[in-house]
Amino acid sequence: MSFIRGIILILLALPTFSVAVSSQSAGSLEVSGRVKIGGKVEKLTRKRFYLFRGGLETNKAFIEKIKSAVVVSRDCFYCEQKASSEFMAWLRAEDCESPYCRSITADDAKNVPEFQAAYQKGMRQFRNKTAVAQQWLTTLLAPSLRDGFYRQRKTSVDLALANTKPLQSSMTDSVSVRAIFIDIPILGAATGGKTTETFLISNVIPLEFAGKSYLWACEVEIGPSKKVTLALQVPEPGKTVRRCEVVVKDLPVCTTGVCPAK
Amino acid sequence: MRKVALVLFLASAATLFAADLLFTAEAQKRDSFQHSTIAHKKLDCSSCHKNPTANWASTRGYPDVADFPGHASCINCHRADFFAGNRPAICAGCHVSPGPRGAARFSFPVKSRSQQFTTIFPHNVHQDIIATTIKKSDVAVAHFVNANYRSPGFVDDKPQFNNCAICHQTSSKLPKLIARTPSTIQPLGNAVTDGFIPKPAFFKDMPSGHATCFTCHFQNVQPIGTNCAGCHSLTKPYSRSDNVKRYSFKFDHQQKEHSVRDCMTCHVRISQNADVRMLKDADVPFMTCVSCHSDKITEEITKRAESVKDQKPAFQCIYCHTPDIGRFPIPASHENK
Repeated sequence: MSFIRGIILILLALPTFSVAVSSQSAGSLEVSGRVKIGGKVEKLTRKRFYLFRGGLETNKAFIEKIKSAVVVSRDCFYCEQKASSEFMAWLRAEDCESPYCRSITADDAKNVPEFQAAYQKGMRQFRNKTAVAQQWLTTLLAPSLRDGFYRQRKTSVDLALANTKPLQSSMTDSVSVRAIFIDIPILGAATGGKTTETFLISNVIPLEFAGKSYLWACEVEIGPSKKVTLALQVPEPGKTVRRCEVVVKDLPVCTTGVCPAK
Repeated sequence: MRKVALVLFLASAATLFAADLLFTAEAQKRDSFQHSTIAHKKLDCSSCHKNPTANWASTRGYPDVADFPGHASCINCHRADFFAGNRPAICAGCHVSPGPRGAARFSFPVKSRSQQFTTIFPHNVHQDIIATTIKKSDVAVAHFVNANYRSPGFVDDKPQFNNCAICHQTSSKLPKLIARTPSTIQPLGNAVTDGFIPKPAFFKDMPSGHATCFTCHFQNVQPIGTNCAGCHSLTKPYSRSDNVKRYSFKFDHQQKEHSVRDCMTCHVRISQNADVRMLKDADVPFMTCVSCHSDKITEEITKRAESVKDQKPAFQCIYCHTPDIGRFPIPASHENK
């Protein structure tokens, strides 16, 4: 009897549930990566940001976790991998994180020892076809120099997100420097209560800029009616940014042969 | 005399018919190899396909799977088929002229044959690894000598940053266009004629072979060239189609204000999704168009509303759309901008 009553209750509840789901509203958010640093507006292009449900208070434990995480900087990573000074210079010349950032020219293949070794291996393997040896050069680089830094950062992100699943993630583009989040489900609007909901935006692992690292965790109210814009800010010395936790740290100086002790 | 002519006519018609039948049957045989049989599915791809094949240099110019698997791959299970008559059907799978002397093979892969695999490409992962750069820092550059590895004759060309253009180049020929119309909504009228014809350069193409992928994935970086399943998965056979299905055919990628932008400025969902084929909506959300074209879009939406209110034929939106799309009711995404 109780089983039948249960079935009836479920059937009665179904229409309510479908109304709640269908009336779920979606919002959108634009995160601007144009940030005033040292009195100058700088562009944080191609940076990934993550969107989480809840604000600073709800995500307190998560924010503490990402603030305390140790992330190795680009220069220190390659320094630890004993990359040559020429390799480091190639990365720094155009602020690349890995050899996948830009094409490796014939000059690069001559002058960067790691590229030269890979090129020569390629020439042997690819029947002396110079174009193939040059264009496929990364397939013969040491794994740590090739995609080690990317993998290290991915591991850091995965660790940070192990128990906290983001709703979405998006990257800033290189021209408008905006990361756009769309179709964000606003639960408040669906339940007929609050029309907006509080969300958290964070880059999860610090991004590097001009010798410093920056980590943001900012809360933002998103509603279904209008796109919300969040402009990232760096606090003036001794001040804070409203509704944001911003951690700015000096990056350790790492050049080949002088890697700081772990 | 008439009888002879009739017999000759019938004989030639019968010959043509038989030849056509044979040709069709042969074509079907050629197309009959199925990767999806239980026996084939048990095998590792590399047990038949070699990468690279011996002919790569002359055929492709880069190491690739440029030829059919050798006899050794088939003969263990299909020995009897190899000796079935003078023109064994199994030979027609690879050889132009089946039989013991028919050495010439079709070029691999045979493009006219049905496709049995889909390709998986996680755009979001590639955005992360190829497109992330650390913002230029005056301090770091000033502290580091970065000219020491450049030769004296080095020409300071702009660096070619890797981005979407590695795979997607401006199209040189106009693809076949198919309007992406809503399937559940009825149009408000017949499409008007606006005489618009897009140019090939409005569109971007995509890789059709391994060349681009192997640049990074030939070896050492998974999925590597011998790990076919890393990118390809078996599917129901289908014919390759280069048709382009769009909501808006009037978007010109080469237009001045468009060409200076980053692809991700508009293709917002690209950095968010591992498989763009799973997207139910366009990867370019409407809000990215509105950021620059708000006035014109508002004008058209107003005209539509007025035409409906005045019970006139519905205004068709042709600023972005061709009329076969612009005659549909305005979707919710356009109302809430």
